[in-house]
Amino acid sequence: MAPASVADVYTDLATAVFSSTIAAKAWLATGAFALVFVQLATAARIYGRLRFLPRRGRAVARLHRWSGRAAFALTLPVFFHCVTILGFQTPDARVAVHSLAGTFAYGVFAAKVLVVRDRALPGWALPAAGIALASTLGLLWLTSALWYFTRVRFGL
Amino acid sequence: MGRGLRPLAAGALVAAGTFALATARVFAPPTTAAAGPGDPYRGELVFERACASCHGRSGEGGVGPRLAGSGLTAAQVTLRVRQGGGVMPAGLVSGQEEADVVAYVVSLAAP
Repeated sequence: MAPASVADVYTDLATAVFSSTIAAKAWLATGAFALVFVQLATAARIYGRLRFLPRRGRAVARLHRWSGRAAFALTLPVFFHCVTILGFQTPDARVAVHSLAGTFAYGVFAAKVLVVRDRALPGWALPAAGIALASTLGLLWLTSALWYFTRVRFGL
Repeated sequence: MGRGLRPLAAGALVAAGTFALATARVFAPPTTAAAGPGDPYRGELVFERACASCHGRSGEGGVGPRLAGSGLTAAQVTLRVRQGGGVMPAGLVSGQEEADVVAYVVSLAAP
């Protein structure tokens, strides 16, 4: 399949639901960013920092895992459009910061997944990796979706 | 390699791969030609959906600059659609939709 037709298929899929590919990205990123708060809340509960959820419950751990998987899934179309169609760009500060953070996003995610699976690492490593990932996603959302909703349009 | 460095090394590798992909832009439509001949009639529908909220339904301007009668060429419009500018995001439309909306905007822009 030629590159242009891949972009066409992606555009057709995105615009079947949203008004444009950029609106699709903004809403998918917003969904992922909302799930980041679920991730932070459940992680804090697992570490005993929050008390309104069942402590050490399997439900909390399950919610943490599945919200993370869902957030990752929501970022995949965004990653596809940003990385393989738009590419790394630096026309202004916002786009440059967004491109740079986007370059590192999946790297931080990969590091966090490895830290989760390595029980020999010090106890601070996992919270640090989680906060780094949440911060990266937050920065990406601030420099894209929030900007789009406030400066371009708010709607599907 | 120290065990603690493995996640960092893996993360750096993934980031480098992402940067390489983003630089290659493997699925970006060609920059010298549109995906196909643009259809200004289909382009009008794309324009209403993706552009009219800023540029006005007839390209009379609004948040975005006036397009009607502006004399913009297809190459200029294509470049702006792909790269964005000001508050206009890059890549609002792509592929055949881009070709169609460019054809429509050029028809609007004719002085």
